[in-house]
Amino acid sequence: MKTLLRWSLWLWISLCICGAFLYAPLAEGFVGQSSRILFFHVPMAWGAFVAFITAGVYAILYLKRRRPEDDRRSEAAVQIGLLFCVLATITGALWARVMWGAYWNWDPRQASIVIVLVFYAAYLVLRDAVEDPETEARLASVYAVLGLIVAPFFFFVLPRIVQFTLHPDSVINDRGSVDMESRMLQVLLAGAIGFTALFFWILRLQTRLAALEGRRRHRGLLS
Amino acid sequence: MIWLRQALAVLAKDWRTELRTRHALHTIALFAVTTLVTVSLALGPAGVSSAERTTTLPVILWIILLFAAAAGLPRSFVAEEEGHTADALRLSALPSAIFAGKAAFSIGLLWGLELLLTPLFLAMMDLPVGAPAALVLILLLGALGLAVASVLVAAMVAQARSRGALFPVLAFPLLLPLLMMAVELTRGAVVGGLDLNVLQQLVLYDASLTVGGLMLFPVIWNP
Repeated sequence: MKTLLRWSLWLWISLCICGAFLYAPLAEGFVGQSSRILFFHVPMAWGAFVAFITAGVYAILYLKRRRPEDDRRSEAAVQIGLLFCVLATITGALWARVMWGAYWNWDPRQASIVIVLVFYAAYLVLRDAVEDPETEARLASVYAVLGLIVAPFFFFVLPRIVQFTLHPDSVINDRGSVDMESRMLQVLLAGAIGFTALFFWILRLQTRLAALEGRRRHRGLLS
Repeated sequence: MIWLRQALAVLAKDWRTELRTRHALHTIALFAVTTLVTVSLALGPAGVSSAERTTTLPVILWIILLFAAAAGLPRSFVAEEEGHTADALRLSALPSAIFAGKAAFSIGLLWGLELLLTPLFLAMMDLPVGAPAALVLILLLGALGLAVASVLVAAMVAQARSRGALFPVLAFPLLLPLLMMAVELTRGAVVGGLDLNVLQQLVLYDASLTVGGLMLFPVIWNP
């Protein structure tokens, strides 16, 4: 069953990649082939969003039930989310170079993603700075929940404050409608689903790894 | 009622110990004034050109406030841990009352700082303010969020190992949205207007930090 799921994930992601390059048409108003990076950039940003929400949910669960595995899941989700976030930033910067002429120009979207990056990097620094494992898990969970509280401001409010964004409309725009060619939308949504599944798969692996490492450290202390 | 009395007692206790040593007061005030002198001196007699004055100077004002807060506010909890008074405090008051008392103390400290720094800043930088009442409101609201977030992070940092460096690392990502909103509003106030939209966001951010703090502080405080 697991093998089947793994292979179907592989197949799904491969189809998304092929679809991005072969099936989806080019978007109007974009330089050359540059709109194709959208099929990776948007799912990655989405994946990061899902990851940080997951981290916050597991942090709440940890604070409620105090089970170490919830904290391990929360930490793993932040690590993977940071990876997705960095990739989304890089793909965004590459695209900005092509379209706007510069890798970085502090567009509101770029500003908010940098704040998110710094916030969750600080989360990992906090974990390193605390020695007692129980305190570490407790404080880190609090910080992740704080992230959940302020995240809406990063993602939705800040980009609205500064009015002059160059960033293209989100998939669902202010008018609440979807303005996108249907084949592009198919690939985009398939990518988002694929990256979400990919996230949860890596999360499982990372959590197992963390559990094994924890057990080994524990045994090392005893012997 | 008991809650309010406890919060007021914590506030009174903090003020009394502060007035005995004047540690935070002196640190914050001197830090802010020294930084202001440094900035003013580095800009030279010409200062900032009049065209860029309204966009640049509000940033400098808020950066000074942010760093002064980071220099002085973490003391309040580190001192409790180092003086071994934290456990006595844990026994004698409700966690959320402690949070409220400490936050009120920090807010008072920051408001005092602003009272000292802002007139000096405006005079030294030769910055006329179009809407003084709006500027006062923004300073009060900005300090509120700054203090609440600082108390939360200070309580976390007090339980970690590398206390000095950790505070800015954890607090700044949390405060960046606040800083951006405050700067944006201050720019408006200098020119003579008040963007109600951004003001609303600032109030909302303050409120989410306060509510989040009241909910999360007991978890940070009680091991």
